[in-house]
Amino acid sequence: MKTSKKEQTRIKERSKKADEKQKNILEMLKSHGATIYDDLDNGQFPKFSIPSRSVSNIVYDKKLRQYILGNNAAVRSSRNSAQLRSFTQLMWLAFFANRLTHEKKSSTLRDVYYSSQAFAIEFEDQSESDNIIVDLEAVTSKPREDFHIFPEERSSIFGDLNIEYTIPGYEGKTMNLSNHPDGYSIGPSLTTAELVDTSAEIVIAIEKGGLFTRFVEEQIDKKFKSIIINTGGQAPRSTRTLLKRLHEEMKLPVIVLTDGDVYGEHIAMVIKSGSANAAHLRELTVPDAKWVGVWATDIEKYKLPTIPMTESDIKRCYDLQKDPRYQDGIWKKELDVFLRLKRKAELEAFSKYGLTNITDKYLPQKLELAKSL
Amino acid sequence: MSSIKEKFNQISPSEFFYSNRDLAGFSNPTRSLYTAVREFVENALDACDQKGILPDVHLTIKAVEPEKPDPKPYILTVKDNGPGIDAEHIPLAFGTVLYGSKFGLKQARGMFGLGATMAILYGQITTNKPVIVKSSVDGEIQNQFEILLDIQKNKPVIVKHTTKEISKKGLSVSICLEGDYSKAGNKIRDYVYETSLITPYASITFDDPKGQKFTHTRFVKDIPPPPTIIKPHPHGIDVERIRRMIVESQFEIPTIDDAMIEKVRKDLGLSLKNLSFTSIMDKAKKKWKTLSRQVRVVIALMSFLKMDFEKLNKIKIEDLDIANKKLFYWDFGDSQSKSVDMDPESQYYKQLTNTVQGEPLTTFLTKRFQRIGPTTAVKFAEFAKFKPERRMGTLSNQELVQLSDSLQKFEDFMAPDSSCLAPLGEEPLEKGIKKFFNPDFTAVVQRPASAYSGFPFIIEMGIAYGGEIKSGGPHVYRYANRIPLLYDEGSDVVLKVVNDTDWGRYKVKGDPPFIIVSHICSTRIPYKTAGKENVADRQEIERELRLGLQFLSRKLAAYMSKRGQADMAKKRANLYAKYIPLIAEFCTELAGKKKEPNYKKILEENAVESKKSVEEEKEIENK
Repeated sequence: MKTSKKEQTRIKERSKKADEKQKNILEMLKSHGATIYDDLDNGQFPKFSIPSRSVSNIVYDKKLRQYILGNNAAVRSSRNSAQLRSFTQLMWLAFFANRLTHEKKSSTLRDVYYSSQAFAIEFEDQSESDNIIVDLEAVTSKPREDFHIFPEERSSIFGDLNIEYTIPGYEGKTMNLSNHPDGYSIGPSLTTAELVDTSAEIVIAIEKGGLFTRFVEEQIDKKFKSIIINTGGQAPRSTRTLLKRLHEEMKLPVIVLTDGDVYGEHIAMVIKSGSANAAHLRELTVPDAKWVGVWATDIEKYKLPTIPMTESDIKRCYDLQKDPRYQDGIWKKELDVFLRLKRKAELEAFSKYGLTNITDKYLPQKLELAKSL
Repeated sequence: MSSIKEKFNQISPSEFFYSNRDLAGFSNPTRSLYTAVREFVENALDACDQKGILPDVHLTIKAVEPEKPDPKPYILTVKDNGPGIDAEHIPLAFGTVLYGSKFGLKQARGMFGLGATMAILYGQITTNKPVIVKSSVDGEIQNQFEILLDIQKNKPVIVKHTTKEISKKGLSVSICLEGDYSKAGNKIRDYVYETSLITPYASITFDDPKGQKFTHTRFVKDIPPPPTIIKPHPHGIDVERIRRMIVESQFEIPTIDDAMIEKVRKDLGLSLKNLSFTSIMDKAKKKWKTLSRQVRVVIALMSFLKMDFEKLNKIKIEDLDIANKKLFYWDFGDSQSKSVDMDPESQYYKQLTNTVQGEPLTTFLTKRFQRIGPTTAVKFAEFAKFKPERRMGTLSNQELVQLSDSLQKFEDFMAPDSSCLAPLGEEPLEKGIKKFFNPDFTAVVQRPASAYSGFPFIIEMGIAYGGEIKSGGPHVYRYANRIPLLYDEGSDVVLKVVNDTDWGRYKVKGDPPFIIVSHICSTRIPYKTAGKENVADRQEIERELRLGLQFLSRKLAAYMSKRGQADMAKKRANLYAKYIPLIAEFCTELAGKKKEPNYKKILEENAVESKKSVEEEKEIENK
């Protein structure tokens, strides 16, 4: 394959950019390591501070339009025998992330859990190791993906988007994401790839795999010049990172289509403004993302078949009413209607009026509406 | 309409105990063998204690026919180095029920030596063999008796009596009884073992039927001071007891027989002379101060009878009617009852009334009870609404009940005298616990004397933790008057107090290796049953046990927290030793260095710290 000179420089620039990012991560890890090394060498118990992730320290930042951590921080000291174990675990994780980043290898959360066993670091279960990973994120303010650690959960993407891989062995290779009708799974190679160009004008994030397939079949990508993303329920972080990049780097608006229930509404909200669980990270939100449906008001408007809300659905509604993000706009309005109806409707409910009803009728209306939102 | 005439027969004490032997712990061959061992060993120890002799007790149990299956006859022999028993007392002491030397009020293992007789009785019932008693009181001559009990007459039957020369003092009792050693063995061995813990000044050996020998050598050379016999405390008294004390205290009108008259004559220096009535009175007046009380009473009687010795010889005093001031007598000559008036103004009148009516209340109280002085006696009289000078002999039945009730209720009596108690003492107890259990921690306490219902008692307790003590504690060793209590522990007051304790509060957790020793000393242990195995929960005793246990538990808690700190320090040091090198390894690579940091300093510092706290712990123990 021949590439023009201009292309080559561009590739070089790109890999330089990726290298730089990696270099920064490594530098940061090194400086943390050096501090601890010096403490030990001076006969002192090493320690560092971790921003507190307790509920009382999670606050909503109106400016950033997301949850962030407050100023409380906890000192984790190796002198404290109760913390010594988790201190060592965190040190190991930094050490492990350092190796991953150096070697440009990726690892799943589960891999981390098992890898630890080679170093006599016992994690009791994966949730303990997952927790330490969040600790590392909090200390460094970097998402785990920057350290090449990814969750197993995969969502997928389809549409006219050219990307260029940066992972070892694929550097410079390009790919168009509309070549395979099942879509492409959003993994480490995709999230780290360069986004080269696209003909799409909008990103449609959809909650369910079934509808994703329907949209591909119905060529929604072409009909509406869109990139379709299946979030597979609550969008994983890699997917949220990709959404953010599509929005910021490709200047594409993002709309979200979910089931017509309180959980669907919150899936859209997390894409828009993050979750309290990831309050220590700031690279995961698309504040301009729009939730277009299925709204509670749509249930009545489109006369959708419904199922009654469960008790936990209703409790969730009341919980969200206390969330500062649900205090105005459609977020508040729809939540109130859900509570009034006490019924919910799935995306598939449109099938009552024919399989393509959702793509032929509902979607165009909503896309039109989104412009005015 | 029954024509059957019921027969009422008086039964002898022997018969009574024969038909109620399970009351005294002789209900089956297993229990009986154990109880017999106890009774004889306790008698031996009591005998030595009383004379301040360091006891050497040898217990032997031998099967008559070893091949036979249990239950079968065994020969039980207990030999001691005590004072022995005089030959003349032996038949009665071992051949009758309720004959004993332990009727005084003081702490002893057994009350009346009754249990031993029961064992002999049980042996005779089951094997029809006599008890063999060998005794030497002087260490030169030994009397050997073979005695059977006549159960119906409650009398000893001497089968054989021999004497021989010997070189040691002491008593040996041997009986043949039906028993079950295969079942009782454990308890008997436990009994011997636990006895030697609470009797550290005794050497006890036990030869069991299987040829095993258990030796417990004394490890304390001082015998605790023996208890003294004391008068009763007013709180521990009842109407019947008061009645008996009055009878004891009351002066009887002497029987005026020939011997009495002879004595009066002699005391007046008139042995050979026959004086007239008035001359006798003159003589008596002169000699009054030298006369004994008995003689004075006779003179006083004569003064009203107006008789000389000759006439006096022919009458018999019948009654003194103080209320009507009349003296009744039987005239042998006329064969009829006669009376004379007594002049209350006469100096002799008072002599007679005092004699008949007994001591004044205050004297009665101060002389016959412990802890009552003249002031308290007067205060009490006021409290009980009696005149202090009220004569004891004039109290009606109802007044006696009133007196008894008031004695119980009056709160100003001092606590009972505890000199009649013989606790083991903190030092020997601690020594014993250390020797028996080799623990990491020991604490003992002797509570001050206290009393329930007028019976003094002292609680001694010990607690020990760790070392060779097996886990699953608290293991409770109960003692009462130096007797280990092995049966029926479920309903015992000590167990109740121990079980009520929340050990978690004292930092004792899980399956702890610890023991509790409790020793109740009293002139009367409130046993729940005649088998003497569990102590009833008298409020005062429970309270003292609780206080004692709390004191010890706090000490244990202090130790446990020290121990916990030492454990923690050790654990921490181990944690550092495990994790710091890992941290060093990881940060070395992270920092991009080749050589690991020198983290040894941290580890050494901490090793020193944890060692320090272990030493501190030891120091505390030594204190």
